Amino acid sequence: MSPQNILLILVSTPLVVFLAMSVLWLLGGHMPEQAISRITKAVYAILTIGAFILGYKMWQSGVTTLRVSLGDWFTVAHYGFPLSLLVDRLSFPIVAVTIILAGVVGSFSVRYLHRDPGFYRFFLLLHLFTFGALLVFTADSLDLLIGGWEIVGITSVLLIGFFQYRMDPARNALRVFATYRVADLFMLVAVFLAHHWFGTASWEGMFSGEWPGHVHNLQGSAASISIIAVLLVFAASGKSSQGPFCGWLPRAMEGPTPSSAVFYGAISVHAGAYLLLRIEPLFRVSWVATALVIFVGLTTALLGTLVHRTCADAKTSLAYASQTQLGLIFAEIGFGWTTFAIIHIVSHAILRTLQFLRTPSMLRDHHRVHAAAGGKIDPTGEHLEALFPRGIQIWLYRFALGRGFYDSILNRFIIAPLLWGARMLAIFEPGWEAVGPDAEQHASKSETAAS
Amino acid sequence: MEYLSLPYLTAGVAALFAGALLSLRSQKPRATAIVAACVALLSFLLAAREVIVAGHGRLFDPLLRCFEADGLDAVPMAFYAALTLVFVVLAPRRDASGSALAGMLLISLATQITYAAADLVTLTAGWWLTSLPFVLRLFGVQRSQKLSQGFLIASCVALTAAVVIMHTTEIEDLSHASMVAFGLIILAVILRKGVFPLHGWMLSAFEKGPLLPTALLFNGHLGALLIARSEAHALPQAARHALDILSTVAIATALITSIRGLAENRPRRLLALLCVSQAGFILAGIATANAEGITGALLHWLVVSAASTGLICIVRVLEVRVAGVADPASHLGLAVKAPRLATFFLVCGLALIGLPGTLGYCAEDLLFHGALESHPYIGLALLVATAFNAINLIRLFSILFLGVLPKHVIDIPDALPRERWPLAACAVFLICGGLLPGTIIAWRSEAAHVMEQALGVESH
Repeated sequence: MSPQNILLILVSTPLVVFLAMSVLWLLGGHMPEQAISRITKAVYAILTIGAFILGYKMWQSGVTTLRVSLGDWFTVAHYGFPLSLLVDRLSFPIVAVTIILAGVVGSFSVRYLHRDPGFYRFFLLLHLFTFGALLVFTADSLDLLIGGWEIVGITSVLLIGFFQYRMDPARNALRVFATYRVADLFMLVAVFLAHHWFGTASWEGMFSGEWPGHVHNLQGSAASISIIAVLLVFAASGKSSQGPFCGWLPRAMEGPTPSSAVFYGAISVHAGAYLLLRIEPLFRVSWVATALVIFVGLTTALLGTLVHRTCADAKTSLAYASQTQLGLIFAEIGFGWTTFAIIHIVSHAILRTLQFLRTPSMLRDHHRVHAAAGGKIDPTGEHLEALFPRGIQIWLYRFALGRGFYDSILNRFIIAPLLWGARMLAIFEPGWEAVGPDAEQHASKSETAAS
Repeated sequence: MEYLSLPYLTAGVAALFAGALLSLRSQKPRATAIVAACVALLSFLLAAREVIVAGHGRLFDPLLRCFEADGLDAVPMAFYAALTLVFVVLAPRRDASGSALAGMLLISLATQITYAAADLVTLTAGWWLTSLPFVLRLFGVQRSQKLSQGFLIASCVALTAAVVIMHTTEIEDLSHASMVAFGLIILAVILRKGVFPLHGWMLSAFEKGPLLPTALLFNGHLGALLIARSEAHALPQAARHALDILSTVAIATALITSIRGLAENRPRRLLALLCVSQAGFILAGIATANAEGITGALLHWLVVSAASTGLICIVRVLEVRVAGVADPASHLGLAVKAPRLATFFLVCGLALIGLPGTLGYCAEDLLFHGALESHPYIGLALLVATAFNAINLIRLFSILFLGVLPKHVIDIPDALPRERWPLAACAVFLICGGLLPGTIIAWRSEAAHVMEQALGVESH
């Protein structure tokens, strides 16, 4: 089998499994847990073998970049939506890690979610997510990448709201979705501006040579390159919970632990870093984008490490730890240490998956270590704090405890004015009730729903 | 003058008319209405097939020559007939009385007459007829319906005045329409489609009126049809400026209703805001005057119709089954009891806001590309409106399906077999259309090409 066909099978298999399971369910059918478990394990075992064969074949033939062009998805006049997949030195390790970790999490979830009412739903979404993630990492253009990007986003939100019979997951899923949509807006604008200014949004059209390559002689000016790079930095920040979008990751911990592992430890959060690595040649042209990505990365890392130290629950603490590492990865990319960033991404994904999956057993692990150490474990994590004066320590503690006051700032300066404006727009509707008890009742309901 | 091989259009319209009359008297009105809708669907499908095979031009009905089908309206006709069938099948029992079903068939009949009209007089007659079932109160006495009826009739009056002006000045078609007449046509569209700042009546009609008939009326997208027809007839330069203004207003509608939705919790109003906002995209796309934008708009027309039909029918089904859906005090958590309805809702909703893998994504991709090519500010505004609409949709999903199940909801049925198949058809159309969009784009590209050429020729 040719490497091109293997790549196609790798990407399309999770989609086929998802579609088959969906149709079966919608037609009233059901699949027992054991069957789902076997199918999932078999699929990921095959995909893992396929990924290794693909890597071996590419290595054997000395090919570092493999493209599979499937023509255009649809065409109208001069515009065509290109369907082209790409595996190269950047995407192969991340594709392999995605497949392996999704398989590990799938296998873990069989027992973790045993007899859960949402068992079937979880595996449906897991397969859809894997497809979306593989599409992101193998897309040969921004057009196709955005397809996978949004699929990853919606599956993430649906898994945050997995425990749908509780209020908090529902509220947090909505907040995460809103954050994703705002961040995705930057990506969409960047894609359309790339078409508008460069006449292309494909990697091949924008960059020359093998990854990382160089920027082609694009039609746009340096300013247009900068604008697109900055927009993509914001889009990547949204997916990786960085900078102005750093508030959603702790909220995403409402989902089941395996989904937290695969999304917020392993794969989904690294998609932003992957995007930055992919467009790295743009940074070399735009110092504004470079400075922005370093600033966003370092400030988020600082905030993450502070808040991480004051979190009372394990998963939130891990979420902030992830955010810290992602901030550092962003900074590495900004400094141009791309190979180091890839190694960081892969190792961080593996370690964090293990930590998330062990979270439910954390107390047991602690007791075991505690017993093994003879009942004496030295406290850790206070070395850095001790370097600061007492007054600053207290201030930092208050700042970290309030999680950087991120939610308060967001609610007061963005959400509240937006909702006020939205309510004011009711003046164009008959029977306007912006003033009065009914309006206040509805307004309070809106705020409850929005918050 | 070329003709269809058989009088399919007459047969379709006659089937709907007969169905409406028989439903009023029948012991089994739903069965009668379903048969009539099926016959109409078959007739319009055959007509659409002939038009697509013919490739270009207008094919007149051999029996009634005031009816014709062309690349622009043949597919929407067949599609609308299918939607009528979906509405008739999905209507809950309390909405499926003889008079209500007759009313829905009459709306469908009037809309099909408007689509198939070969001249402005027939089009105006169809336009008037769509209001008739509401004025005759075939759906029962509803609260605060005077406002929506007033807007519908005002729209009819504006269109009639335009047609009268054109006839008195002996102008035969829209290519020579005076600015006054064209202004009246634009006014008719604004009134009919609920374009900002006159969108309030649509919200009121959705909230206080009969939901399914209002949705059927809305999904005709007759305002967009009229504008598309006008464009296809090579408008004078001055009229194109009016179109530019209309597109700006359509963008404002899309954006403002999407923002307004953030402060709305009542499902019917939220749905109305979503639908009006997404329908604004169609007008904006048509005004881009390039192939991508127009094709995207014509594709979005189908997406909005199919997706909003699914969403509205599910909300109505839930209203009938659970008390308090109309104005929920909190989240309703119905996904536990009705997971399939929740899934269908999500699929239709995500297609409406353009999730990749659905037809909505292809439509919006084309629309944004077209808009950015001609008017970048329109493209950017549409992107922002899409983002807000997506948030509104997930809020609505969250309110209806997530959270704690109220204590009074002990047991409600999930999608019944009668409901499952039509909803599955909507979902399959939106997903398969998204995975393999080439065929559906080919249905609409001919009309888009004609419209683009008409505008292109004039602008040069």
